[in-house]
Amino acid sequence: MLEKREFDKSDFLWRLSSTITIVAGLFSLLVFILIIVNYWMIKRADPVNHELLTYLRVEYANAPEKDEALAQRIRDLDLITRKAFFTSQTHLRIGAWVLLGSVSIFLIAFKNMMRWRPQLPELADVPTADKEFLAYAQSRHLITWAGIGLLAGGMMTSYFSETALTAELLAQPAAAEGGAESAAGAGQAAAAVTAPAWDEMLVNWPSFRGPGANGVAHFTTAPVSWDVESGEGVRWSADLTMPGHNSPVIWGNRLYISSADETVREVACYDTETGDLVWKKTINALPTSPREAPDVMEDTGHAASTMAAHGDLVFALFANGDLVALDQEGNQRWGRSFGIPDNHYGHSSSLLAYGDILYVQYDQAVEPKLHGVNISTGKDAWVAERNKISWASPILAQTTFGPQVILASEQDADGYDPVTGNLLWSVKCLGGEVSPSPAYANGMVFVANEYAVASGVTLEGAEGAVTATVSWEFNELLPEVSSPVGDGDRFYFGTAIGDIVCLDAKTGETLWVEEVEDGFYASPILVGDRIYIADLKGNMYVFRTGSAYEELARFSLGEPAFATPAFMDNRVYLRTPEKLYCIEAP
Amino acid sequence: MRTPVAPIAAAAAFLVSTAHAIELKFAPPDFETEYAMPYLFIPPPDGRNTWWEALILFGALSLTTWLVFKARSRRGLFGVSVFSLLFFGFYRQGCICPVGSTQNVAAAIFLPDVAVSWIIVAFFVLPLLFSLFFGRVFCASVCPLGAMQELVAIAPIRISPALERVLGLGKYIYLGLAILGVATGAGFLICRYDPFVRLYRLNDNFGMLIAAALILLIGVFIARPYCRFLCPYGVLLGWMSRFSKFHLQIPPSPCVECRLCEDSCPYNAIDMPTPRHLVEDPAQGKKRIRGLVFLAPVFILLGALGGYMMYEPLSRMHPTVSLSERIALEDRGIITERGNLQADTFRVEGKTAAQLHAESLAIKEQFKTGGALLGAFLALIISIKLIELSVIKKRTIFEPHKETCFSCGRCYPYCPVEEGA
Repeated sequence: MLEKREFDKSDFLWRLSSTITIVAGLFSLLVFILIIVNYWMIKRADPVNHELLTYLRVEYANAPEKDEALAQRIRDLDLITRKAFFTSQTHLRIGAWVLLGSVSIFLIAFKNMMRWRPQLPELADVPTADKEFLAYAQSRHLITWAGIGLLAGGMMTSYFSETALTAELLAQPAAAEGGAESAAGAGQAAAAVTAPAWDEMLVNWPSFRGPGANGVAHFTTAPVSWDVESGEGVRWSADLTMPGHNSPVIWGNRLYISSADETVREVACYDTETGDLVWKKTINALPTSPREAPDVMEDTGHAASTMAAHGDLVFALFANGDLVALDQEGNQRWGRSFGIPDNHYGHSSSLLAYGDILYVQYDQAVEPKLHGVNISTGKDAWVAERNKISWASPILAQTTFGPQVILASEQDADGYDPVTGNLLWSVKCLGGEVSPSPAYANGMVFVANEYAVASGVTLEGAEGAVTATVSWEFNELLPEVSSPVGDGDRFYFGTAIGDIVCLDAKTGETLWVEEVEDGFYASPILVGDRIYIADLKGNMYVFRTGSAYEELARFSLGEPAFATPAFMDNRVYLRTPEKLYCIEAP
Repeated sequence: MRTPVAPIAAAAAFLVSTAHAIELKFAPPDFETEYAMPYLFIPPPDGRNTWWEALILFGALSLTTWLVFKARSRRGLFGVSVFSLLFFGFYRQGCICPVGSTQNVAAAIFLPDVAVSWIIVAFFVLPLLFSLFFGRVFCASVCPLGAMQELVAIAPIRISPALERVLGLGKYIYLGLAILGVATGAGFLICRYDPFVRLYRLNDNFGMLIAAALILLIGVFIARPYCRFLCPYGVLLGWMSRFSKFHLQIPPSPCVECRLCEDSCPYNAIDMPTPRHLVEDPAQGKKRIRGLVFLAPVFILLGALGGYMMYEPLSRMHPTVSLSERIALEDRGIITERGNLQADTFRVEGKTAAQLHAESLAIKEQFKTGGALLGAFLALIISIKLIELSVIKKRTIFEPHKETCFSCGRCYPYCPVEEGA
């Protein structure tokens, strides 16, 4: 069985093997290059998002009726692009096996090439044994240096990797424990929260412009006039140190406001009876929070969105896209980040909660969305894709066809099912950068925007089959920021140039216009048969609803007014840049 | 002109494997078309590692032993290598292999909740037992990692023995790190960084495929680089082989000192006859040995200290520690880019960062002890090597170095001595 190597030479077999080696090698190289090119093309190809296909899909989606011809064209194109992609893939797969085969042939031929022109053993003049024993000293030196190198390398690595972060973690494990709350993500396990009923919401002031964010107080009593300078009618006041244009919200005997600048975000809770600060909570950056502060306009600030108070929880949204839920004791229940909105004035849309859902209108330039957030977990119960940017806030309209969440954007007024997030209706009736929120009263939706048009949209049909039609348009005096309010027969709004306008809800006819001292950012609130609205100079106007302007009071708040007041039984809660007031009727 | 064989083979394997994955990543068509989406099939566990596989391992080891000792057939060993590559490599996809089984056994020793099956023990022990009796016959042709390298070692060159010895320290470092990784729960490093298993499984870890391609490319000229400089199991096999009762002999009968085998071994695994003249003053040699023995405990202490100091970077091999640091850096705004899979998964898991950091700190404590032991182990190995290189054993014939010889039989054809001559 003894096997001896044959040191025979064969020029013919060597030439044959070397030719095969070269041919197989070149062929392998060629196949390799082709495969790489094909692979690169496949990596770049994206048949699902083919440009023309995407365009056609949008066309199909926007078509008023089903276009069968267009659908067939999409089918055909879809098939072609997929076929092209997968054909390339098949080529890739076949090419790879061909390559493996050619490389195997190359290896065998190469081995044979070496076999047929073997290198005979050559005896050196100095025996290798002598050299090897001399190399022992060299080996000892090298191994010693390797050991020193390992030790030095290890110590250097250790020195340079001893970061401040490590020291911090080692030194302050307790501090790290305390930071758990801010690090808690949306996925943190959370106990289910019982959502308050609508009736309960009506006796509170749960959101921007009251229950349903519709501008209507469900109390009929409120003080008609007061004087903050003399203290007449002022039950209490509190100094504010942090900026925030959002309005106060109230649940029970707790009032909540949020404030923020570029670096600090906080939520404060006040006792509505005494004005005492119950707690103030700094909202730490969430693990997924953006590291940069957003660019915002001064008029908007970092806390323009009004919070939502909803039973045991309150929610706050900041300009950097951070949304947090706190309980009544100020403990953070969950937090999540939507990321900085692509929104050139800063985010201003307020929060609205109804049932188990918190509505976050995240209308921005790229991928605008309406998030239906589960109030217990902070996770999306659903997400509705939107079309355009806006700065308006959602409202909840209790229509005869059931509740609807109504939104305004740069282009549309839209109605959504509040439970499923399904789009119920959409009307193209707006334009420009929309900031005023919609108003709803008596089957009629009113949306308006400066430099565009105001529209009265009539809702008809039945539950689940609502149609919306523009009944009338009005394009003279229009609101820029302030949102309108309706009393059923009329809509009222304040313009940025200082007019209070009243339109007939059925026809859109101008019933009256009252010119006042300054423009309006704060929104009018209907309390019984009175409407309260404050201008930017801080003048409060109180007038009676009706087809003629009947002023009941006009007085100064002493400070500019950006925020919309909150109205509870016999009381008004008002936020100015530096103060928080509770006004109570005698 | 030399063609880069190994990278081409690796790239081909990579491209074949990714093609399947891409197809399943796409959403189905918007409309019904003629195209049929492939069915995503997740195979159930296939009852691997059964007794007959251990039997095949035993058979392959026995056959190799016969080929090495009786048949002295390099061609036969080549055939077994091809079988091992196909069966243990491509068919069994390199798992469990005796190299990786080192970690399973270590896990059973160090981790209280981990048990090890008898089949894994068999895979771990059988090659060691054969090594103890017959030398590294496992490396000769049964190991699928070695087989692949052996097949591409077409034009091997012999590197300097001194360089060989220094690079050979790599396998001790790797073994130490692998055991440390298992003992601290960092995972199975040998498997995680096994370059060949990617080829056997044709999966798409591009980095490891590149590493495999590089090792194979280097292996064309510097034969079996992984076995010689990195294989952690090779350390254990080498230790066993040192004491092997029987071992491959270059001449089947008494050596005639023709020196023809002198350059035949590309692994520097042939011990030469001791020169007949004095290479060094014996008194100086003895003095060196005494000095090295005396200094060995100092080296070990220094090594332990260095290893202890290395606990911080060493601990980053543990996924919890690296994740904790990633999360901490993200939370402090030092790392701003997102998209790290582990970090994103952690964010939705519900565990708090504080809990994670606490776990991380506890693990780092383990690495202090582990690092010190690793450093001491490496210093001990270096001390032994230095002493070994100072002891000159008298040798009159060419014979394989029992620890480093792979029993590959490359030296057979060079020996002109006939059996029984």
